[in-house]
This record gives sequence, structure tokens and C-alpha cells, in this order.
Amino acid sequence: MSASILDPTGITAANVAVAPTLPDIMPPVKARKGFFGFMRQNPAIAVGGSLVTLMVLVAIFAPLLFTTDPTALAPALRTREPSAMYWFGSDMLGRDIYSRVLYGARVSLLVGFSVAVFASIIGLTIGMISGFVRWADSIIMRVMDGMMSIPPILLAIALMALTRGSVQNVILAITVAEIPRVSRLVRGVVLSLREQPYVDAAVAAGTRTPVIIWRHILPNTLAPITVQATYICASAMIVESILSFIGAGTPPTIPSWGNIMAEGRALWQVKPYIVFFPAIFLSITVLAVNLLGDGLRDALDPRMAKRI
Amino acid sequence: MDRRNFLKATAGVAALTGTTGVSAPALSQGAAARTLRFVPQANLANFDPIWGTQYVVRNAAALVWDTLYGFDDKLEPKRQMVESEEVSSDGKVWTFKLREGLMWHDGTKVTAADCVASLARWAVRDGMGQMIRTIQEELVAVDDRTFRWRLKTPYPKMLLALGKNNTPMAFMMPERLAKTDPFQQINEYIGSGPMRFVRNEWVPGAKAVFSKFEQYVPRNEPPSWLAGGKRINVDRIEWIIMPDPATASAALMNGEIDWWETPLTDLIPSLRRNRNIRVDIADPLGNIGAFRFNHLHAPFNDVRARRAVAMVLNQEDYMRAVVGDDKALWQTLPSFFTPGTPLYTEAGGDVLKGPRNVEAARALLRESGYNGQPITLLVGQDQAPLKAMGEVTNALLRSIGMNVDFVATDWGTVGQRRASKSLPGQGGWHIFHTWHAGADCINPASYLALRAHGDGAWFGWPKDDAVEAARDKWFVAPDVAAEKAAVAEMNTAAMRHLTYAPTGFYKTYQAWRSNVTGVVGAPIPFFWGVSKS
Amino acid sequence: MFAYIVRRVLATIPVMAFVALFVFSLLYVAPGDPAAVIAGDQATPDDVERIRASLGLDRPFLIRFGEWVWRILQGDLGVSIFTNLPVSTMIQQRIEPTMSLMIITLILAVSVAIPMGVVAAWKQGTVIDRTVMGFAVLGFSVPVFVVGYVLAYVFALELDWVPVQGYTPIKQGLWPWFRNLILPSIALGTVYIALIARITRATMLEVLQQDYIRTARAKGAGQRNILFLHALKNAAVPIVTVIGIGIALLIGGAVVTESVFAIPGLGRLTVDAILRRDYPVIQGVVLLFSFVYVLVNLFIDLLYTILDPRIRY
Repeated sequence: MSASILDPTGITAANVAVAPTLPDIMPPVKARKGFFGFMRQNPAIAVGGSLVTLMVLVAIFAPLLFTTDPTALAPALRTREPSAMYWFGSDMLGRDIYSRVLYGARVSLLVGFSVAVFASIIGLTIGMISGFVRWADSIIMRVMDGMMSIPPILLAIALMALTRGSVQNVILAITVAEIPRVSRLVRGVVLSLREQPYVDAAVAAGTRTPVIIWRHILPNTLAPITVQATYICASAMIVESILSFIGAGTPPTIPSWGNIMAEGRALWQVKPYIVFFPAIFLSITVLAVNLLGDGLRDALDPRMAKRI
Repeated sequence: MDRRNFLKATAGVAALTGTTGVSAPALSQGAAARTLRFVPQANLANFDPIWGTQYVVRNAAALVWDTLYGFDDKLEPKRQMVESEEVSSDGKVWTFKLREGLMWHDGTKVTAADCVASLARWAVRDGMGQMIRTIQEELVAVDDRTFRWRLKTPYPKMLLALGKNNTPMAFMMPERLAKTDPFQQINEYIGSGPMRFVRNEWVPGAKAVFSKFEQYVPRNEPPSWLAGGKRINVDRIEWIIMPDPATASAALMNGEIDWWETPLTDLIPSLRRNRNIRVDIADPLGNIGAFRFNHLHAPFNDVRARRAVAMVLNQEDYMRAVVGDDKALWQTLPSFFTPGTPLYTEAGGDVLKGPRNVEAARALLRESGYNGQPITLLVGQDQAPLKAMGEVTNALLRSIGMNVDFVATDWGTVGQRRASKSLPGQGGWHIFHTWHAGADCINPASYLALRAHGDGAWFGWPKDDAVEAARDKWFVAPDVAAEKAAVAEMNTAAMRHLTYAPTGFYKTYQAWRSNVTGVVGAPIPFFWGVSKS
Repeated sequence: MFAYIVRRVLATIPVMAFVALFVFSLLYVAPGDPAAVIAGDQATPDDVERIRASLGLDRPFLIRFGEWVWRILQGDLGVSIFTNLPVSTMIQQRIEPTMSLMIITLILAVSVAIPMGVVAAWKQGTVIDRTVMGFAVLGFSVPVFVVGYVLAYVFALELDWVPVQGYTPIKQGLWPWFRNLILPSIALGTVYIALIARITRATMLEVLQQDYIRTARAKGAGQRNILFLHALKNAAVPIVTVIGIGIALLIGGAVVTESVFAIPGLGRLTVDAILRRDYPVIQGVVLLFSFVYVLVNLFIDLLYTILDPRIRY
């Protein structure tokens, strides 16, 4: 390369070797703007979010959607096929499955969201403490490891067996089973963030720990926690259905998708609609929540995909 | 080796074993025909029929242990292990002589000493046995095949007590086993019945295996329930526990099991349509659904509150909920006793008959002083009939204006809580459901649930002297007419007092493959006389 | 390295101790009475009390806990309240079906999911990617028992290709053993496949962007070579992590699968024991599961050192 007065480094457009164009592994990404642009760019969030919203609306407005009392028994009209009178058919006690499924959305969604929120909050707290208070870290992590090593379903069943079937107890049992994972996640984030230079700088500048947590650590945990929360919500809804399947779930006087399926499971070969309709609703909702989680993860930070 | 070669090798082995039959199941085609695979009503978790009184334990025990007497299909006790018996003229001394050739599964002979020890253990746990113990003078073996029971007063129902099929049955065990405390389990399962229990193949909760005891000497008469000759025509019986009714149904249709004790009623039509399956009533004596009150605490300590419930209790709702729409299976029951039996009576049962009267019930409930307190309703979710009954009750109570605290839990917890005499708000209860096998409700003999002697009575602790007086009359009734009168009196008294409320009488089906013959409808699934081709 | 192994093994002790205490206390405060269930419906309240006493259920907590721990350390897991059999015998009887189910599911899931994830990553953004990932998410979303029922109905009942239920021990033949496990493994594996496929895809995507891939491509390496030799090996660590975490999921799912397909395994044993309050069995089995989980994770941590030479302890 020839240096010259005008260009001391000697690099000119003429004499720089042009790198060969390599085939792109990632296709080019078009930037889009606005709400609808955001939605088109993140189809997972769009689809997932709208389905979840739809389910929530169905749950809230269930009484207005041509439903009857979901607990009204009519043993004389049991196990009728879907018809004009019973849109989704009637179950073994003559109750209208359509009404039960729509009201069941309330319970299943409530369980899912509650578990996600409580597990996230409690897990966040524990993870923070664990990340910052060193002497507590090893004890807490041993306890969390211990709890994680008990298969979550068994833990939930055992906790349910301690008490009677009710929605609150189901939420409690599943939350306890999910806390360890969240706390581990938060702890991991906190530990890695603590090494970051800006946190060092803040500490050196004398910032108090609570302010550090609030200003630096917490915002960075929000993204992974939110994504994790959606997965927890989806998983909690499935766990609720499994608990009901085993017979350790919500009481039959309160319909949930899980216990409608559990009651109908013995008859599914002859009256498949009893299991079929709640299964469809559950699967769609869980799918939607999972999609939402995926979309959020990809939008917020694709690198999270390796960890969650 | 790397993954690819490993997969090839496995595929090769699988193909080889598949085609040449090298890996065929241990049982050849012929042997398979000599094994009967049965799906019982519940899990066989333990196996002491004196210690644990569940029906499924008794049913399995009937294969392994034998009894001195046994009910035939007319519910009359007939000799089984006994060759002859003698009663003294004053009715106080019973002498029994055993048959020849009775052997235990370990090769030793059955002796009178074994029977004496077995009866002693049984009598501690059984209601009628306890009655006999209180009037017992001595129970001794006279010689190897004879033993004597000397009583202070006559006990005319002795043979009924020894031959009844209600738990606990008077099974005969070797002396060393019978010496086990009646409140502890036995450790060996040696009996003198027609099948051996194959202990090392027992997987509690999954499978129990019985094999034919070649040295069993059946009686000469044709088999009739627990009486007659118990001839086994298969080599092996496997009890397979299947928790999922849909799976059991599919297995039966596919020929993977041979006999299913308790198919769900709703699955019966599809089983019937299958040409290889036969369906019939499992037990002609059926079952009586029970709505059990707690007589110790308000509001159900007042007979008016109980009556109010009985006035709106719609047995049709309960029965449909429990067994479905097949009217051949259920009937309403204004009685505490089993329909179709000699002593059946509907005396006094009017409160359960006729159209239901909600308004009158509400008024009566108010009159009894019900103050709106929540009614603790214990419902075991893991037993389908109880779960169904619990939900119907929930609707019933609400229809007469009661508040319900629906405790959805499992049968084990119900079992514990119902034993509590505390206030319902503090761990007690108001109502739970159960059912009684019709065989237990034929007469007052073993009808624990109908006793009304207060503190010592069954859970709920009803107290009514008229019921107890009628029961006493039955025990000393000299003939059938007197027995009928006593039972009618007991029914009337119990209906007036509402010791519990029957929710109806129902039967269930059993289903088996068409290549299995000899299956009879009885309170216990009997395997003698059953063949498989 | 050796020191690391020793440290890790020692670290498992407090974890196991916590699990032991937790499990034992949990059941101690539980309502529900095994004595009541054993006594049966025809028993009187007095009978139930006598049975409780004979089972030793009326002694104080610390005494029972201490005795229990002492016996565990000697290898004695106690005796089941219901069946009078030693818990270790009961576990032994049931371990083969559950292990068989889990191993087959594991092999199936890994062999299906990893290629799925690789293909999806390779064809990222295309219809193939979306379809594959769509199936994967579906696997997460449908409850295991629904999948099980549908599979049993179609393949066993209607088509009669495999039996509907049951388990054939391996000593009765490899093929019959496998035949019984095909449907349960597929049912149980759907969730696992979904999980592994997603992580594989995500990790592969990240790896495929790395410089060394670009170098390999520049060197003229074939697509398959790149994907498997270079990319997958480097993606191995997170994938293996997820496989390890997924074992806990498998155990949970096995409970349902064993129920639907009438497989006499540990999952069913545990659920039955929990619902019956058979304390010794519950304690023994949960301890066993935890121990296995801890061991598996230790093994995976060690596997990291093989997969990624940069990781050294």
C-alpha cells in the first residue's frame, strides 16, 4: 500500500481488497414502524396476544354469551350429544358443557395468570436476595435445588393432598413448584450483572444497594422474567389439568378445563366431546401463551432463547 | 459403536426376534388359554381379610382361603370345610367336624386347632363374632378334625355368621398365622383354598397372581356361590389393576384382558356391540347408596332437618348420576333393605315415595331452627359413585336454602374426617356419602350402618331405641314370619328416625370375553367353574 | 477435576437432607389417615384407632423423623403401611417399566428433536421452520393424557398395530417389550421433543452466526458437515442442559402416561401412595427421584467438560 500526504495510512478505495460476498445465513430484516408494523414484524406476539385476549374476553363475558348455570345438574339429560339445546353436549350429570367450558376459562386463566404473577414476584425476590446477600446464597440455592429435584407434578400433588381441593390451593401448589426455577433465573441474571462495569462504577460512586437494584439490576431482569412468566402461565394451565386428571385438582363444583376433562376421561371413547371441547380450548390458549412468550423473547432479546 | 450402527443392530435384532419367534412371550399359545386375566374393582394393596375389610381384599381372599360354611345363591349357609355339625338340644353347644383331605398350601394338613385359632381372631373383628364372644364359654379343638364351641346362651344364627359373605368373612388360616393380633396384618398368605397366592409375582397396585392348588379337594355338589365344589379350570389367574376405565375398556375389546369386574355403565353399549364380549349384571344383590347424617351436631341432630332433606331427596337423580340411564340397573328404594330378598320391606318408607315437595321441606327446615350455617359435605373425588352423589347432594341442599361447604378431597381423608365427633366448623362434618353392598343389607345381622346405639354406632352416631329394639327382636326371632315382622318394625323405626337416607338401589354390570364361560352374577366374583377356551 | 467431583458430590448431601426433611414434614402435617383407609368402610372408630396405634402413627415427629433417617442411611427405606412389603422391594418391582419408558422416550425425543431443531435453524424464516416449530409448540400445549388417548385410540384400538396398554418385561422378549412402549413413549415424548427442538434451534441459530462457521463455509465445507460437525457440537452445552432439566418433566409426565397405558411403574406407585397417605412409600420414592435427578445433573455437568473443552473445573 502506498502512503501519501493526503492519506497517511495508504488505504484507498482502490487498493482495499474487497471481501467476497458470502451467502447470508440470516435473511435481511425489514424494519417496520407503528403498531401494525410491530405486529407484522412479530407475528408470534400478534397471533399469541390476540388469542389470549380473545380467551380473556370469553372468560370475562361468559355470562353474556348464551350460557346457563354451569353447575346446574339435570341427571335425566346426561351425556347428550352436541345439539341445538346443548351446543357442546351435556356431561355425566347433565350439565351444559358449553357453559362449563366458557366459565372454565375463568378458572384456568386465573390459575395460569396467578401462578405466573406470584411465582415471578416471589422468585424475583428470592433471586435478588440470593444474588446480593452472599451468605444467604448458598443456603437458598441448596433449598431451591432440593425443591427442583422433586418432580414438580409430584410436589404439586403432595401439596394438594395436604389440603382440600380449591382454586386457591391449586394456585399455591403450582406456584411453590415453579418458584425455584424463577429464582434461579433471576439469580443468574443478578450474578452476571453484578460483574458489569456500570454496576462497579455505581458501587464505586457510593450508590446504595437498593438504588443499584432499582436502577440497574431490576430493569435487566424484567425481560427474562416476563418471558419466563408467560411460559409459567402456560405450564401452570397444563399442570392444573394434570392435577385434575389425577384427582387432586379444583373441586368439581367449580368447572375448569382440567376437571371437565378429568370427569369425561372415562367416557372419551364413547362420548369424546366431553374431553374434546375443553382440550381444544386449553390447547389453543396454552399455544397462544407460548407463542406470546416466544414473540416477547425474540423481540426483547433473542439471546434469551439459549437460556429459556 | 456410533449411533448409526447401534440403530442398525437393534433393528436387526428386533426383526430377527419378531419373525423367528425367539422372543415370544414366556407363555405359549396353549398356556395363555390357561391364564385368566381379571380387572378387579379396586387396587389390592394388602391382603389380610380379617385386618382390612375392603371388598376387594375379601374377593381375593376367597380364592386363597376357605370357610367352614358358605352362602349359596339363596343366601343360605351350606357346609364347605365342615363335614358335619351337631347342636346340643339346648342350643348351647356346637360341635363341628371337618372334611377329610383338607390341606394347606404348604403341604400340611388342616386341623381343628387351626380353625379354633382362626375363629378366635375373626371373632374379635366381626360384629356377629363379637356377639358370640360375649356369650362364649369355650372354643376348643377336640381332636384333629373336630372342635367345639360352648356358649352360655343359644345363638341360632351361628351358621349364618360362619358362612356369610359380609366382611370380615370367617376364613380359616393356619394356627401360626391366626395367632397374629387382629389389628395387625399377617405376613404369609397360606390358605387351604383352591388357589395359591404367588407372592413373588405380586406388585401391589399393579398385579396379583394366583395359581391353581392341585391338592385342593372340592366338594361333590355343583358350585353355588360360596357353597358346593370349587373347581378351578384354569392354571393361573392374574388380577391386573387398571386405574383408567377407558384403558380397561379398550384392553377388553382388544382381548388383552378376559374379565372386567366394574365396567362403567356408559361404556356398556359399546362393549355390548362387540361380538367378542358378553355383558351381564354383576351382582343381583346390588348396592344401596347412602346419604349419611351426623346426628351429633346441628342442624341434623334434629329429625325435622333430616326429614326436610328426605322430603326433597330425589332418588332418581342420584341413581342416574351414579349408574346412568339404563333403567334395568336402578330402582328407587323406600327401604333400608335389599329388594328381591325374602325380608325386603317398604314399611314406613313413604317419605321417600311420591313427588318431591320443596316448599314443605323448606318450611320444615325453618321449623327445625336451621340458622343458615354452612353444611360441611365431605366428598371423596376418587370414587366415582361418591363423587356423583356428592354433587347431587350439593344441588339438593341448595334447593332447600342451605349453604354448602363442599369439601372435595379423597376417600382416605373422608375416612379420617368422618371419624371426628368435633363440631363441623372445627374438623367435623355434617354429611358424607358411601354405598353398601346389597349383600350386607339383607337382614340386620351384619348391617353395621343401620345400628342406632349412639356412641358405638357407625359414623354419624345415630341414637334410636326403637331401631335397636327391633334389631334385638330379629336376632331372637323363632321363624321367618317373626323375622319379617322384626325387619318391618326396624325399617319403620329407621325411616322415622332417618338413621341415614338411602339414595336408591342400583346394580352394575360386569363384562367378559366370549371365550370365557361360567361367569356368574354374585356379590363376589367367583372363579370356580369359570373356563377359558 | 477430581476435586470438583468430590465437591459436587458433597454438595448434594445438604440438598438431599433438605428434600428428606421437606418430604417427611409435608406428610406429617397432612390430613388423611392411612389407618382409616385400611380399616375399610365397615370398621368402627375404635378399630381405626387400634390400627393407627399398631402402625406407629401416633408417635411424635422428631422421633419418627430420626428413626427414619437412621434407617435410610442403612439402606432400609421402611415398610409400606398398606402392603406390608419393604419399600425397596416395591420400588424394585416398578423400576424396570419406568426406566424403560424414560429411556425409550429420551432416545426417541433426542433423535427426533435435534434434527428438527437443526433443520429449523438451517431453514430459518421459511415455511419449514415455521411448520417444525409450530409442531413443537403444539407438543407443549396439548396435555399428555389427551395425546395418549388419541394415540391409543387410533393406533391400538382402530388399527391394532400395538397393544392398548400394559407392560411386557424385557426378559419376555425385546420386541414385545418395545411394542408396549411405543405409544407411551410418543405420548410422553411430545413435550420433551418440543422443548429440545426449541433450544436446539435457538442455539443453532446463534452458533451459525459465529465467525468460525463463516470460516468453515469459506473453506468449502459441505452444509451437512457444517451443521453437524461444527455447529451442533458447539451448541451441545445448552441442549444437554435442557435434556437434564427435562428429566424432572419426564418423571412428572410419566405419572399420567403410566395411568393412561396401565404401565405398572414408579409414577403410578407414587400417586397412589400420595392419595392413600402411604407415608413410607411416598418418602422413599420421592427421595429416590431426587437422588436420580441430582445424579443426572452431576453427570451432565461432567459431560460439559467433554463437550466443551473450554469448561474446566
